[in-house]
Amino acid sequence: MEKTGTEERARREGLASGVEGFNGRARRALADPELHDSIALFTRKTLKGRAARLAELPDAPELRERAYHIKQETMANLDRYLGQMADAVEARGGNVFFAETGEDVVRYVGELAREKGAKVITKSKSMATEEIELNRRLEEEYGELGLEVVETDLGEWIAQLAGDAPSHIVAPIMHMNRHQIARVLSGVAGEPLPPDVKALAGFARRRLREKFLAADIGISGANFGVAQTGTVCLVTNEGNGRLVTSVPPVHVVVMGIEKLVPRFEDLEVFVQLLARNGTGQKLTVYTSFITGPRGADELDGPEEFHLILMDNGRSKLLGTEFEEALYCIRCGSCLNVCPVYRQTGGHAYGSTYSGPIGAVITPLLKGDREAKDLPHASSLCGACWETCPVGIPLHDLLLKLRNRQVDEGLAGKAQEIAFKGFEEAVERPALYRAGARLGRVAQRPLVRDGSVRRLPPPLSGWTDFRDLPPLAERSFRELWREGID
Amino acid sequence: MRRKEFLENIRHRTRSGRYQPTRAPDASWTPGRRAAAAREVGDPPSRFLEELAALGGHGRRVKDLEGARDYVVELARERGARLLVRWDVEELERLGADGPLREAGVEVAVWRDLEDFREVAGRADIGLSTAEWAIAETGSLVLESGPGKGRTVAILPPVYVAVVPVERLVRTVPEAIRMYAGRGSLPQNLCFHTGPSRSGDIEQSLATGVHGPGEVHVLLLG
Ligand code: SF4
Repeated sequence: MEKTGTEERARREGLASGVEGFNGRARRALADPELHDSIALFTRKTLKGRAARLAELPDAPELRERAYHIKQETMANLDRYLGQMADAVEARGGNVFFAETGEDVVRYVGELAREKGAKVITKSKSMATEEIELNRRLEEEYGELGLEVVETDLGEWIAQLAGDAPSHIVAPIMHMNRHQIARVLSGVAGEPLPPDVKALAGFARRRLREKFLAADIGISGANFGVAQTGTVCLVTNEGNGRLVTSVPPVHVVVMGIEKLVPRFEDLEVFVQLLARNGTGQKLTVYTSFITGPRGADELDGPEEFHLILMDNGRSKLLGTEFEEALYCIRCGSCLNVCPVYRQTGGHAYGSTYSGPIGAVITPLLKGDREAKDLPHASSLCGACWETCPVGIPLHDLLLKLRNRQVDEGLAGKAQEIAFKGFEEAVERPALYRAGARLGRVAQRPLVRDGSVRRLPPPLSGWTDFRDLPPLAERSFRELWREGID
Repeated sequence: MRRKEFLENIRHRTRSGRYQPTRAPDASWTPGRRAAAAREVGDPPSRFLEELAALGGHGRRVKDLEGARDYVVELARERGARLLVRWDVEELERLGADGPLREAGVEVAVWRDLEDFREVAGRADIGLSTAEWAIAETGSLVLESGPGKGRTVAILPPVYVAVVPVERLVRTVPEAIRMYAGRGSLPQNLCFHTGPSRSGDIEQSLATGVHGPGEVHVLLLG
């Protein structure tokens, strides 16, 4: 990557504008061997860790069921739980703001920064703020304030410096190798830094520490919000989340309305699932539960706590056949197992959320026309559904989206016929499972050295370029069920 | 007003939906009970130390306060520490490490009446605290914020030490969460802290101490 950050960003934005669409971007990604190596390294490691950590959890299948049901209950009563959350936060001395759109969030934070005379804002990784491009818009739309909005997650910070978008929910710069990273950080350091992990991380620590200590406002996302207690749960491994929420005098949380769980005890289910599925850890290094601003007798912690509950299109999904897409806890697991994501990486999706869940929620939040290609960026092998810790039927939702395109006249004729047939099969679960089992048998002649060399059309597009990992011999579901009986 | 409209909109959508997810909630679920019963934790103190070691932390079981005190003073000496910041809690008073530390040339800042906590915690070489609980299954510390219990003591200094009485070990994460779920009021900040700060952002290679402490020492007392 010889290009500067801005050129790189322009290139990606050009791609993201949908001129070339998913196929064009994917083809470019497929031709990039460095990218392919990075993704392969990451997904293989993570999947191995995940499998080991899940194996230690005898009640993993139960937790998954439970997670699904908790989310189902939450969505069915979302107005009540949101009201409860707001009351609980206010009772603890916090402020609550309901944001219909991303604009509302930007305005709220911008005005708050003006009121506080803020200069430096530290931020910990959050997909919700990524979705509304909060950093860029704050700096641009509130230019007169001279705000500096600093990402503090190591990966996000490097992406920010490179003018690059994150390419994975959990590992934002998985697409870069250490030579590329060294080049970016050398630019900031004003001297060449060696492509050595320790040296680069050490430089980041020193630089970001100055920002942590100088920050006027800390912004974080929320992994979960507890309606009953008004608690925001935030997990990070580096500790940046804990610094952003402890050091500055003001803490602002930007939380998608779907992140709620009803009760504190529900977190037992979700924190375990998130760590084990996301990074293959038993528990993330820092799992923080924050309830309101600091107490009167405390020396540190924020004096003000602001919770922004953001809709930004999410409520459109409530009560529809796509509601389950709101159950996502952003663990990134479906990305890691997806044969398409594994070949192309996150930027090919041209949207904030990539992989199977990105292919589902991007058109739902932005509209079918905006993200027409994404529901087709899937082999429909069902691996995403098998792995999802909340049991979201991602492949099913992808089919429903393709179908919706047909209804809206956005799809070609051939697709129309093909996918109608497939969906009929999927709608009858028993038939689908039989089909999936058949698929695993039928692929056997194609498997060589543990990967699929060639697939029949329409999937041949993928294997023309790359080998596909074979479908699991037996699905997680089958394995689990056998394990329980 | 805004809140009312916002919630009205959501209520309207949840009610108007005809779509019913296919699977019904499982009413028989009991949080944590099955999990706790099913998970083998064996001897909690040894399990805690094993788990912490696996994460790159340093754990040690110490018989008495003297043992813990000597460890802290020795560590400060070895690291060439100039400033140690510690929680203002009774247990650490009883530890009696302040005197020996000062004799060894280490300044001790106690978490009370600090003019500027950023300046003190940001400059400290070592942070020292207790923990409310420790979780054997994961090697985690459970830290509550409160008067005398600074959040940044455990996160700003590059070396962090916690002294925890062994009777405060719980076995599993669900057990720890349930203790707080049963409470009327939660502390402002509660943190499950598991090992040294780590990052895998650069080529999946482990980098420790990126923002939080790179060294974590836990002394199980008793
Ligand atoms: S859809 Fe499921 S697997 Fe994918 S990121 Fe969300 S929770 Fe994880």
